[in-house]
Amino acid sequence: MNRKEESGKALEKNEKKRTRTACCDIFHDEKQVTLNLEMPGVSRESLDVRIDGNLLIITGSKKLPSLKGDFLIREIRDEDYHQEFTLDDTIDREKIQAVVKQGLVTLELQKKESVLPRRITIN
Amino acid sequence: MAIVRWKNNDLYDPWETMRNLQDEINHYFDMDRLPAGSGLFDRTNSPPIDVLESGNEFLINCEIPGMEKEDIELSVASQVLTIKGQKKIDAEDREKKYYRRETFSGSFQRTLSLPASADPEGIQAELKDGILSVKLPKKKEAIPKQITVKVN
Repeated sequence: MNRKEESGKALEKNEKKRTRTACCDIFHDEKQVTLNLEMPGVSRESLDVRIDGNLLIITGSKKLPSLKGDFLIREIRDEDYHQEFTLDDTIDREKIQAVVKQGLVTLELQKKESVLPRRITIN
Repeated sequence: MAIVRWKNNDLYDPWETMRNLQDEINHYFDMDRLPAGSGLFDRTNSPPIDVLESGNEFLINCEIPGMEKEDIELSVASQVLTIKGQKKIDAEDREKKYYRRETFSGSFQRTLSLPASADPEGIQAELKDGILSVKLPKKKEAIPKQITVKVN
């Protein structure tokens, strides 16, 4: 068996596609932190958002419309998305919302009530 | 008796890493990093595209995440396909406190000269999950025909 075949086999064996991090915007206001991630080719079904302890794990598998044929131009990377963020204690783990719309994933992380600014009434 | 090389899959194989490296490098050669189809009026902000060709049609994929159908303009004029669009930023967007900002907003354009065999009349476009896919059939005369040869 020559080397090329062998390496092809190795590729098949670990099957998993290459992953990369998506372009990301993060901004915050008084109540929440918002993450916008650009993941073209990721649908609602193929997106997975998990919280593991202090980690927010975002995985999305990309699917491109395809055709049985040859590439004339190939610039789009056929790679899945994987990204991990560390959450601090100010984020309420129970109140995380994810929306995916046209390949743009929006995650809204609510801050805990205890860290929200409070107005103190003066007696 | 033939001697068969013993290979235990559980063991760490240093050559595996080398092969993976080889694949990695090959992958970069497969990719067309330079926008080959870009014209004189193309700007630096052009979204990446894939162009595929099969026996009877072309498929053009273009990555434009977060864009709505209304914001995209697709046109064909004398065998030149133009994908144009604008990603707007809200006025309130400027006031947000950003930790990190990596996404692009503003206008972009991508032009592509279509092969002579493409038929712009039958063009079909679909936007799904931030990917614009354009289907272009080939002209009838360009589709390869199967000719059966009779032998007497």
